[in-house]
Order: sequence, then C-alpha cells, then structure tokens
Amino acid sequence: MPRQVLEVTLTADSVAADAALAASGDASAFERLYRAHVNRVHSLVRRMLDADEADDLTQDVFVRAWDKLSTFRGESAFGTWLHRLAVNVVLARRKTLGVERGRFHSGENPLEGVSGRRETPEISMDFEEALANLPDGARQVFVLHDVEGYRHEEIAQMLGVVPGTSKSQLHHARMALRRYLDR
Amino acid sequence: MNDQWTDRLSEYVDGELANGERGALEAHLATCAACRGAVAELRQVVARARSLEDRAPQTDLWSGVAKRIGAGQVVDIRSRRFSFNVPQLIAASIALVLLSGGGMWVALRRPATPSGTRIVTPRPDDFTMNASADRQATRIWTGRTDAAIADLQEDLQRNEGRLDTATVRVVRENLALIDRAIGQARAALDADPGNAYLNLHLADTMRRKLELLRRINAIASAQS
Repeated sequence: MPRQVLEVTLTADSVAADAALAASGDASAFERLYRAHVNRVHSLVRRMLDADEADDLTQDVFVRAWDKLSTFRGESAFGTWLHRLAVNVVLARRKTLGVERGRFHSGENPLEGVSGRRETPEISMDFEEALANLPDGARQVFVLHDVEGYRHEEIAQMLGVVPGTSKSQLHHARMALRRYLDR
Repeated sequence: MNDQWTDRLSEYVDGELANGERGALEAHLATCAACRGAVAELRQVVARARSLEDRAPQTDLWSGVAKRIGAGQVVDIRSRRFSFNVPQLIAASIALVLLSGGGMWVALRRPATPSGTRIVTPRPDDFTMNASADRQATRIWTGRTDAAIADLQEDLQRNEGRLDTATVRVVRENLALIDRAIGQARAALDADPGNAYLNLHLADTMRRKLELLRRINAIASAQS
C-alpha cells in the first residue's frame, strides 16, 4: 500500500521510538502515536461500521493497542500493525453485534442497499454516504480492498469467506458506487 | 449491459484476468460501448476510493483513551512485558537524544544542584572545539545549510499538493520535531558558543532536516 510505504519511509525512526517508549509505559509517547494515527483509525472504523459507533470503537482500538504493544515486534510498520488491530476490533465488534447474518452469500444483491441513481441535485448523497449505505458484506470488502489496499486473499481470511466471494462483493459494491461518483 | 463479461469487469480493472480471458474481454470491449463505459466508471470508483481523505473525529477522543489506560498515573514498567529488538531501542534512544540533547546539556551545565553538589558535564574527549576558526567554520556551515533548507522548504510547499494529506501531516510532524531539536541546540549554543558537542549536535540535527526534506521532495516528484 503506497500510503504505508511512505509512512515507513518517513517516520520509521520516530514511530519506532515512540512505540518502544510506549511499550515501556510512556503514555506521552503513546499519545503521540495516537495523534499520528487517530484520523486513519477513526476513518476506517467509521467506514466499516455505523458512524455512531466510530468514537467508541476508535477508543477501543487504542486501548487494545496499549495493552498489546508488548506483542509488536517491529517486523512491520507500527501503522500497519495498528491498522490490522483496528480491523480485528471492528470485525469482532460486528460479530458481537450479530450483524453478519450471512451477508456474504454470493447471491445477495448489494445494489439494493443503495437505491436510486443520483440524477437530481436535491439527491445529495455523496460518495462516502453511498458507501455507508452499502450492505455490510460489500461495504467491508470495498473498504478493505479499494480504500485500505488489502488483497482478496487477505480479506477472505479476515472475513472467513473464499476469495471469489470477496471479488464478487467488490464488483457489486463498485457497480453500486459508480452512480455516486462526484461530478 | 448484461452479458457474460459484466461480472468480470472489476477483475479486468484490477488486472486479475488471465491472459486469454483478458484478450477475449478486450475484444468484447471493442464492440460493447456499455461495457466500455462501465470499465471507465469502475476505474473512477477505484480512484475515488484511493483519494478518500481521513477525517478527524469530531471530538477529541484522547481523554477517554488516557483515562482507560491510566495515563498520568505512575506506571510500573516491570508490569509491562515488552520485546523490542536492539534497533528499535536504538531508535528510541536517538529520538530521545534528538529531542532532549540540547535541553539536557543546558540542564547538566547548571552550576550547582540545590544540595550544592556540582554536576560534571560528561564532555567527550573527541569534542574539542576551542579554536575560534572552528567556530567560524561551523557558523559558515550552518548558514549554508539554513539556505539549503529554506530552498528545500520552498520546493516542499510547491510539492505538497502531490502528496496525500496523511503524508503531508506526517512530514509536518517530523519537521516540527526536528525544528524543536534545532531550537533547543541553538538556545544551548547561545549560552555556550564554543561547545563542540552542541555544535556537532546542531549540525547533525540540521543534516537530518536536510535529508528529510530532500527525501520527501524526491517522493513528491515521483508522484507526478
């Protein structure tokens, strides 16, 4: 993922330093990590869950990160490690909420979740809003693949589906969202 | 548009079709305007997804996190297991030195502690810069570096538009960190202009800033 590559290039020293300091109990270093990553984590959570869940789940992600910093061995960038942890927290939350309900059935039509072509100015749903209105399965796959840069094989493993299902959900999500491209 | 290729268009856009299938689909696209249009729109969707900007939470969530992790309380580091390797710990040390080198020097240079015990500054033997000629050379070098940094910062202002906002934010945070260290070193040098350690510390910190600016400008140029 290009963004992650840049992150590694630019901040490897300072982020690794702060991660090491935070792991030793330095809350100030952890706050710097929080400040550097909160927007990305919050955006990920907001896109994968409902907006009203985003604040609580974002805090959960960082509390979990604090608790698990001892397992971060620096083999990947801290941002990558945190991001994967955030995805895991989101997916666990979805299971807790019981919102999966078989949404990865390949026969499902994600287009039903985004009704109507935007043809008039008063229908002002933008791209992010349309994304939020996708059915959960298509939404998750789209966010993980097209926004966050995960591969189908990774997504399939995370979501417990086969890669073909991930590809199918992605295609249906894209077909739905093309109606809401900013013009 | 509802043919055998409709559901394969995303795989085509992502370059995931085998050669034979790709060739067959491209032959189809040559004759199907609807599929050509869909491919174009799918590419726009992918580009739009990649350009989505991260947004900050509407409220600051740190206070809630801090409360839950007990920030501000005394932390017993023995209760935290950590398994960082040597390079990571070195990186942590570098960051600490970078941030606090100048301030630490000033602190150590205080003539006496409240108890009256004088602190001896651990000045390395290699750092001998007593000659005014050396100090003059340092002033010339830092002056030239300041000019180079100013040029590179102008370049960065022009190039920032090529970088995504997350990257720009990271760059600015790093530059602020380095600027803070430079400021500390210069303040310490004002009090002790002939101090070789501080001169080297300042030079090294300025070099870091120069390298960061060069690197980010190169990355930004590669984005065009």
